[in-house]
Amino acid sequence: MRVLVVDDEPIVLKSCRLVLEAEGWEMIPASSVTEALSILESITPELLLVDVKMPVHDGMYLMRKVREKRPGIPIIVMSGYATSETIKEAEGLGAAIFLPKPFTPDELADTLRAVAKSTSPD
Amino acid sequence: MFYSTRSKLLAGFLGVTLLVGAVSLFTGVHLIDQNVFGEALNRVQQDLNAAHEMYLSRVKQVKTCLSITTLGFAFISSVSERNTTDLAIRLERMARLAELDFAGITTEDGRTLCRMGPYAFPGPASRGVNPLAKVVLEQRVSVSGTMVLDRDFLISENPDLAERARIPIGHRPEGDADSAQEESAGMVIGAAVPIVEGDTLVGVLYGGILLNRSEAIVDTLRDTVFQSETYQGRSVGSSTIFLYDLRIATNVYSPEGRRALGTRVSREVKEHVLNQGKLWTDRAHVVGNWYISAYRPIEDIFGRRVGMLYVGVLEEKFTRIRGQALEMFILITLAGMLLAAAAGVVIARRITLPIQRLIQASQQVREGSLNPELGPPANSEIGVLQKAFGEMVAAMGRRRAASELRIIHSEKQASVGRLAAGVAHEINNPLTGVLTYTHMLLRRKDIAPDMRSDLQIIVEATERVRKIVKGLLDFSRQTKLDPEPTDVNRLVGAAISLIENQALVKGVAINFNPGENLPQVTLDRSQIQSVIINIIINSLDATEPGGHIRIFTAASLSGNGAAQEGIEITFADTGCGIPPENLNKLFDPFFTTKSVGQGTGLGLSVSLGIVQRHGGHIRVQSEVGKGSRFFIWLPIQRRAEHESVGG
Repeated sequence: MRVLVVDDEPIVLKSCRLVLEAEGWEMIPASSVTEALSILESITPELLLVDVKMPVHDGMYLMRKVREKRPGIPIIVMSGYATSETIKEAEGLGAAIFLPKPFTPDELADTLRAVAKSTSPD
Repeated sequence: MFYSTRSKLLAGFLGVTLLVGAVSLFTGVHLIDQNVFGEALNRVQQDLNAAHEMYLSRVKQVKTCLSITTLGFAFISSVSERNTTDLAIRLERMARLAELDFAGITTEDGRTLCRMGPYAFPGPASRGVNPLAKVVLEQRVSVSGTMVLDRDFLISENPDLAERARIPIGHRPEGDADSAQEESAGMVIGAAVPIVEGDTLVGVLYGGILLNRSEAIVDTLRDTVFQSETYQGRSVGSSTIFLYDLRIATNVYSPEGRRALGTRVSREVKEHVLNQGKLWTDRAHVVGNWYISAYRPIEDIFGRRVGMLYVGVLEEKFTRIRGQALEMFILITLAGMLLAAAAGVVIARRITLPIQRLIQASQQVREGSLNPELGPPANSEIGVLQKAFGEMVAAMGRRRAASELRIIHSEKQASVGRLAAGVAHEINNPLTGVLTYTHMLLRRKDIAPDMRSDLQIIVEATERVRKIVKGLLDFSRQTKLDPEPTDVNRLVGAAISLIENQALVKGVAINFNPGENLPQVTLDRSQIQSVIINIIINSLDATEPGGHIRIFTAASLSGNGAAQEGIEITFADTGCGIPPENLNKLFDPFFTTKSVGQGTGLGLSVSLGIVQRHGGHIRVQSEVGKGSRFFIWLPIQRRAEHESVGG
């Protein structure tokens, strides 16, 4: 399973890599929305893990783009601080679930597993 | 310039008193002038009439005396026999009886037979007959009245008489420089009576009184008319006989204390009385004093105006009355002003003292005191003002306290919210790293046990940080409410069931008495439930094992402002209670009495925020050692203004 993780924070990317690789998954990091979009040109991940608050373009922008180009990919939205409005907006854009930061390795792995399971009928 | 009410009142009082005083003074003086002086003028006129009557009666007395004498048989025969020796004795006796200054007898052919004085028996060469006798000889009837005799005749009658008649003129009116230095003519009153034997005229008896220097007549006039009334040692009244305009007999005294003989009357009076023959009544300046005086002309037996009769009353007596009245009026006015001033001061004090107090009180309020001293309540409109002021200050205090709390609370909430948002965002990323790495390390089997326990400590500490940040987030998250009609009893029951186990473990009983027939309340279930849980957990923490928490619900009207229907949830514990000094801080963010790590100090402040956004409120009653009661009141229908809060 390939997961594209988008976050401007290196520590979050590193943490995610550590957990995902321990689970035996492939982790593709992107430190900005622009980078994520260029990666998506060539690679199709099974899951998208996106931070909301990022400089230049935020997670919402990325989700809109992804909905246009790759509507099938489930998206997990993570944030250190989100109001119910942000959550509702994310859900409106097709986010599968909202994952509040900080999270433990188990919480992350469980969330990913649950989403992957629910969105892979085939 | 600021004029105090006191000075205004005082000025008003004094002004009115002064005005009344001045008016009464003016009126009083005017009335005294009109009545007293008018009366005095009337009286002096009557006095003049009385004096004139007395003057005339004196004339008549002389005449009567002479007439009686001429009736005596022996007297008649002595005259006809020219028995001068006998006649001289008789004349002397008669003159003494009638107090005559001169007397004499002439023959029917105009020769003086005999007279009083040193020339009792004049020779044939002596000067003619007395003018009085002459009139009788010519007209053959008796005459009486006033007459002016010149010096020559006076000498021939009696040199002593001529000497007495001389009056040096002390004061000459202006433009009268060539008038004589002394008056030598004599003014007399007298009479002459024919002496008849049978039908034949045998002689004339005449006699009279010299008025010049005669004190007896004027003094008698004065004493009879004015009855010896005195004023400051002086006689109030005075009378004078004038020869033409010259004082020849008077009891008007000069400033040196002598009788003012030889002085003249004013030109005005002379013109009026002597020349025109009219009465004169007015104030007059008579030899240094003001008199209310009256003059009338004196005519001699030939009808010529030869002198004046005067009576006067010292004006000082009346001016004194006026002066006394004036003094009295002024005294009364002054006393009135004093009284008014005193009353003014007292009244002004009574009025202004509470006002002063109110001013001071308002100053105190301005300086921040909400418990100003108003002083004793006044029983007037001021009292109403005081009461209103007190109520206003009290209301201000209540409102300020409430609004201050609200402001402080919302300010704190806003700043903490902004801070929390920032902190949460910044901290949660590294926290994710810490949590991930420590957990991943702990998964490894090859780490030493002591290192494992250290890692465990890191995990716990990080969990604590996570909790704090979550609390901050909960506090700052002004999420919009998601209200729906809710059965409060069910909501409370559900919350209790979540904590029941925890309570059981601690050994604290939770009793819930749901109120019956409660209406549904529109509220955000999850938020209100977190509030309920928060409060129950607080109670649980405060209550020792064996204690209990009672929870009940009831319909209730809101206590503040317009009554509003709502529901109140009461939580009563038997815990340690909250000290009074902590009651105010209870809802402050980060205020906690729990030991470090046990609470973030955000629970109640978050709860209050949620309840307030529902349009409700939380109240606390507590007694240290006995327990606390929390009351959550929620309106059944939220008011529109609360909708906008949050977001």
